[in-house]
Amino acid sequence: MYEGFLPEDLPEWQMPFWESLRRHEVRVQRCLRCGAYRYHPKEICHRCQAPDTEWSVITGRGQVYTYSVIRRPPTPAYQAHVPYVIAHVTMEEGFRMIGTLRDIEPPEVCIGLPVQIAYDDVTPEWTLPAFVPAPRHDSR
Amino acid sequence: MSRPSMPPYGSARRGEGASDGCDTVRPNKEFMIPSPPGPTCWSGSVTIAGVCQTEQGDLSGRSPAHVWWEVVAGACADAGLTLQDIDGVVGEGPPGVGLRGHMPGAGIAEQLGRPLRFHASSEAGAARTLAGVSLAAHALTSGLADAVVIATVAAGQGGGYGSADREAAVAHMAKLSGPYEYVLGTTRVSDYAIYATRHMHRYGTTAEQLAEIAVTQRYAATLHPLSVNGRKGPITVDDVLASPLIADPLHRLDCCLVNQGAGAIVLTRTSDVLPSAGHRPVVLCGYGEGHSHIDPNAVEDMTTSPAAKLAAESAFQKAGVTRSEVDVAGISDHFTIGVILGLEDAGFCRPGEGGSFVQNGGTGLQGHLPTNTSGGHLSFSHAGMCAIFTAIEVVEQLRGEAGARQVPKADLGFVTGVGGAQQACAAAVLAGI
Repeated sequence: MYEGFLPEDLPEWQMPFWESLRRHEVRVQRCLRCGAYRYHPKEICHRCQAPDTEWSVITGRGQVYTYSVIRRPPTPAYQAHVPYVIAHVTMEEGFRMIGTLRDIEPPEVCIGLPVQIAYDDVTPEWTLPAFVPAPRHDSR
Repeated sequence: MSRPSMPPYGSARRGEGASDGCDTVRPNKEFMIPSPPGPTCWSGSVTIAGVCQTEQGDLSGRSPAHVWWEVVAGACADAGLTLQDIDGVVGEGPPGVGLRGHMPGAGIAEQLGRPLRFHASSEAGAARTLAGVSLAAHALTSGLADAVVIATVAAGQGGGYGSADREAAVAHMAKLSGPYEYVLGTTRVSDYAIYATRHMHRYGTTAEQLAEIAVTQRYAATLHPLSVNGRKGPITVDDVLASPLIADPLHRLDCCLVNQGAGAIVLTRTSDVLPSAGHRPVVLCGYGEGHSHIDPNAVEDMTTSPAAKLAAESAFQKAGVTRSEVDVAGISDHFTIGVILGLEDAGFCRPGEGGSFVQNGGTGLQGHLPTNTSGGHLSFSHAGMCAIFTAIEVVEQLRGEAGARQVPKADLGFVTGVGGAQQACAAAVLAGI
């Protein structure tokens, strides 16, 4: 049984993001008026304050903006995974999002590392966002 | 006066920013500070007349409510007042007071046996005890109250991060972030570590420079009889670097304490200060706040805090003083990186120069800007809504009552309190008169 944290108290209108992860794609809110991506989801656009959005599929590619290697986990449920990397990634679409960064040794992680989205299916209901290093031919 | 508008966050257009993963979403766009209005009517007219704090550390055997009343009574006595003089309270009262967390003012009044004239709360995280100073000042100068108390307590078995159970406290603090972060196993330490990683990358800030902050503040704590870590003695940079990494690049000794304790302050109008209290009055001459984001990815440049910049700029403008006039500072220090960010954001050094500033002893007791001279949250106390302890130390310095850690010439002080992970900030300029 999964004993890590799962999202709590998410409003229903934010669920398309999480449901898209479960389908192994990423849909992020995008403002219908100005085109700005809204991650985290927001009721109104942070750039033009318009309410209307669509849930837009993104490429899932980006580069590490900053990161940390977690060695002291929040609860014992995460102990088996330490050390693990949390990365904030500048996506090709221009916004940043957070995910774990796996399939790489912590000393190899650096700012600017090209990564692509991956999916951690932690329960039948919940998939969490992750990143893995982009294949070499895909890096710029 | 024309005000530049604040640029929205994360507003890069499609394709921008992806060209260089090594920099920010919009690397050349500086955060713009809107011009605050002119000096406030209460500049200098409000005094932090009384302060009190318990010995910090383990109060798990005490009733939190009893400790709250004890420390409030202590702050009253320090001001030459009694509990019966208090007619306003800012923030939460003794734990459990009121009705299911509501109407704490009514609950406190009931225990005092008479009505209060004023209650208000800030919700700026742990900064709320400093943000409360502004609410108190408004009440005092408008005549809504004559003596306002602000207090915090962590005692008893407790819950949340005031819990006596350290594991429970760490788990609780991990979930102070939002569900988009904490589901990944982030922690409060990693919430700040990501700022440190970015600052090191952009400016070359080093782990040794971060460690220097912990070393400097630990030494100061050894001179404070109520501190948690002072009794453990001084540490070296090597000690910090040899302590376990918690969330790279932050070591255990880069992190604040998790402890219990209590502190209170009482504010009155400066014209009402009782000479019999015997202290040099410490007046509020400038104040500012900033509230900037919830999602850490909404901040374009994670080497700086828009909230802290805004708070400091407002506070200094209202006070009408410059950074170079400040004699002693309290910079919110949940983690060592917080001091570097805080010094830079407040304008005491240029962006990227915080590391060399601290490495050259700038924040030491004999330094250019003695900072966190109690030991701060790293070594003095990180209990409850902890900004109050940062403020109390600056008050004691400005009064000339800081004992062995007294800064020689302490007339003007600057204090910050940070809520969350750089999400909100309160800043105050205080002066001894």
